[in-house]
Amino acid sequence: MNAMTAETYEQFAVELPGDQIKMHVKNLEFFYGKHKALHGVTLPILNKGVTALIGPSGCGKSTLLRVMNRIYGLYPGQKAVGEVLLDGENILDHKVDVATLRSRVGMVFQKPTPFPMSIYDNVAFGVRLYEGLSKSEMDVRVEESLRKAALWDEVKDKLKQSGLGLSGGQQQRLCVARGIAVRPEVLLLDEPASALDPLSTAKLEETIVELKKEYTIVIVTHNLQQATRVSDNTGFMFLGRLIEFGPTVDLFTAPRAKRTADYIGGRFG
Amino acid sequence: MTTLSTDVVVRRPPKGAALDPFFKILCFTAATTLLAALTGIVVTLAVGGWPAFHKFGLNFFTNTNWNPVTEEFGAAGPIVGTLVTAIMALIFALPLAFGVAVFLVEFCPPILRRPIGIAVELLAGIPSIVYGMWGLFVFAPFFAQYIELPLMAAAPPGSIWETLTTGVPNGDNILTASIILAIMILPYMAAVLRELFLTVPVQLRESGYGMGSTTLEVITSITLPYVRRSAVGAVMLGLGRALGETMAVTFIIGNSHDLPKSLFGAGSTIASTIANEFNEATGEMHTASLIALGLVLFMITFAVLALARALLGADKHS
Amino acid sequence: MSTFRRTRRTIANVSFTVFCYLTTLVALTALALIFWTLFSKGAGGLNANIFLKVTPAAGSVGGLANAIVGSIVLCFLGMVFAIAVGVMAGTWLAEYGRNSLYAQLVRFVNDILLSAPSVLVGLVIAGWLVAPFHGFSAFAGGVALGLIAVPIITRTTEDVLNLQPTALRESGVALGTPKWTAIRLIMWKAAGSGILTGGLLAFARISGETAPLLFTSLGNTNFSLGFNKPWFGLNQPLASLPSAIFSFAATPADDLVRLAWTAALLLAVAVLAANIGARFLTRERRPS
Repeated sequence: MNAMTAETYEQFAVELPGDQIKMHVKNLEFFYGKHKALHGVTLPILNKGVTALIGPSGCGKSTLLRVMNRIYGLYPGQKAVGEVLLDGENILDHKVDVATLRSRVGMVFQKPTPFPMSIYDNVAFGVRLYEGLSKSEMDVRVEESLRKAALWDEVKDKLKQSGLGLSGGQQQRLCVARGIAVRPEVLLLDEPASALDPLSTAKLEETIVELKKEYTIVIVTHNLQQATRVSDNTGFMFLGRLIEFGPTVDLFTAPRAKRTADYIGGRFG
Repeated sequence: MTTLSTDVVVRRPPKGAALDPFFKILCFTAATTLLAALTGIVVTLAVGGWPAFHKFGLNFFTNTNWNPVTEEFGAAGPIVGTLVTAIMALIFALPLAFGVAVFLVEFCPPILRRPIGIAVELLAGIPSIVYGMWGLFVFAPFFAQYIELPLMAAAPPGSIWETLTTGVPNGDNILTASIILAIMILPYMAAVLRELFLTVPVQLRESGYGMGSTTLEVITSITLPYVRRSAVGAVMLGLGRALGETMAVTFIIGNSHDLPKSLFGAGSTIASTIANEFNEATGEMHTASLIALGLVLFMITFAVLALARALLGADKHS
Repeated sequence: MSTFRRTRRTIANVSFTVFCYLTTLVALTALALIFWTLFSKGAGGLNANIFLKVTPAAGSVGGLANAIVGSIVLCFLGMVFAIAVGVMAGTWLAEYGRNSLYAQLVRFVNDILLSAPSVLVGLVIAGWLVAPFHGFSAFAGGVALGLIAVPIITRTTEDVLNLQPTALRESGVALGTPKWTAIRLIMWKAAGSGILTGGLLAFARISGETAPLLFTSLGNTNFSLGFNKPWFGLNQPLASLPSAIFSFAATPADDLVRLAWTAALLLAVAVLAANIGARFLTRERRPS
């Protein structure tokens, strides 16, 4: 950490043992055109665990998430500098095939985005791109994915119906099922519950806790209670910097940085 | 659940990834086709019309003698005819379109609002040749008998009235062509104006009424200022249509290449001249002159439409 | 003083109200008159012969069969051309070009093409496809109609694609879907009814176009198409409803004029049906 930022922003980060790290963001800077949105962020992501990113609006947490599967690459003028290691390989490298990367690192968005097709086809969509499964194999895969997303019981009798006909919470879990059907290693969730009612949110959170047995999950959330409920580690971001990172329990009970304490104490944000 | 272990999946690029760049190129090519088409139109008209511009120079625009026999082509008649009919059509259609649009937004009983609104929009799509036929078989004879003849008969000799009404009383003249054009662009302009008026926020209009303003005052001091530039843009769009319209005019303008001298005199427009003569053009210079006329029409409409587009986007209310 | 002012305001407002009612009445009357004429003069000629027989020779009974088939073929040719180019171009504007300088130029060019006088399109296509091949052809007419339809389809395609939520676009890509697969299977599908609406509007527009056909497909008093003919007869002049109206209306023969009215009625009904269909589609499933 360089002296300048250390002066202006006190930063605290807990180190994780190397063999527990699935993804490692190192000294990441991000630019929207000339505007610098991330200032040297370094963040380890725990393998088969949930890492939560919290912070006030515009702090760069969604931006950070969007770097992890290079979705920002859709927009000319957006640029990431630094390293994001996935199993030791820098995904920002030009040689990395982005489509393959995105099949390894899935993403679920703030608002549910079911594709305009049947529930079954929604889940099978990604799988068909990568694997030539037989009909029965595909049936198994779709069922597995829907079960893991805790949606199977609600939709098993209407797989041929349009995904657009589901409720908001169901749509969001369909998006989760669609994401895990391609067997990603990492799942990025960008405020997945912000458009949902409390009941659907609770269900989605259960799903997340269940999923972390197999997947590495990064979740951006505005809801601090949600972060404490689902995550193992939490990073607090402020003005494009990672102010504090550590085990969720520690960060919420004994924050070390004053800004973290202020934020979780509700003094701003 | 062990089947879903992530380690066994062999990652390959997804199906169809190799074709991705080709699709982009294909889309880009299609977009470029539009540019090429417009460029092609301009170049074709310019090249095809060049012999005429070269031979007649500025006389092409000022000479009123259009004579395929002597191969002398002066286009002042059709050019002036185009401008005069389009502007007259606009003068007739604008108050009507404005009235209809205001009626639909402010006065119309809610039950009738949708049907009339839809009818106006549907009428805007009726092919112009239908209007042309109606003009030829219904309106022109009616006009000749009940309006043209009485007006000509009643004209005091030597008055401006007489000057304006000279002509053959058969209904084929500048005025009837303009009226048919006006009827044709009326639904179009009414539909565009109505849509514009509907963009005025309800709160804004209601606060006007809340101050005790009359409908007229709300229209003149709130609605019109709010959509001012766009409204001018909409009017220009209507003008652009009238300028380039062929079929509604060709049947009843009388097809004379002289400068229009009176309202009841025969005339021609650029579009009607091209429609009538292009296939029967007698010589190369005749064809070249018709294409040159086409270029002039393109330039006029281009200027009007570019202005209309610029004005239509100009009222930015954030 | 204040009562005087109030009276003046009231009078002005009442006159204005009356003016608006009157203009609407005048406008609707004029348009109703046109329709009434169209139906009264056109519907009388409607019978089986219209659909079975070709353009009559002087004194014999004929119909519009060749013109109807010709119009359908011309519109089909034009729409194939226009959909291929228009959907791709609209997709490029919405998904690739976006706000780049070149995209803005293409958008402006499209706007100009959208309202360029159609007679000029005919003139130019005649220069490209008629003069070099020494003759009028159905093919040239189809291309001319296509060129008129392309900007309409481009515009609607771009508009409906832009209406789709950004997250939908991103979630396709986030699965690792190649962009073109995401566009075809997700974006086009989501925007489907909107694109179809654009197609119907374009069809409504070109089916009544006359001016661009005068110098390209010209017209024909006989059936010129056939599966056993070279190029299926598309290299020959082709009859169409608009060109039939144009040539029949100019004749002194009463029976031809009657046919012209019937042709105009058929044309108007087809155009109205397409427009109503487009309207119905947009209401049915407006992209949210």
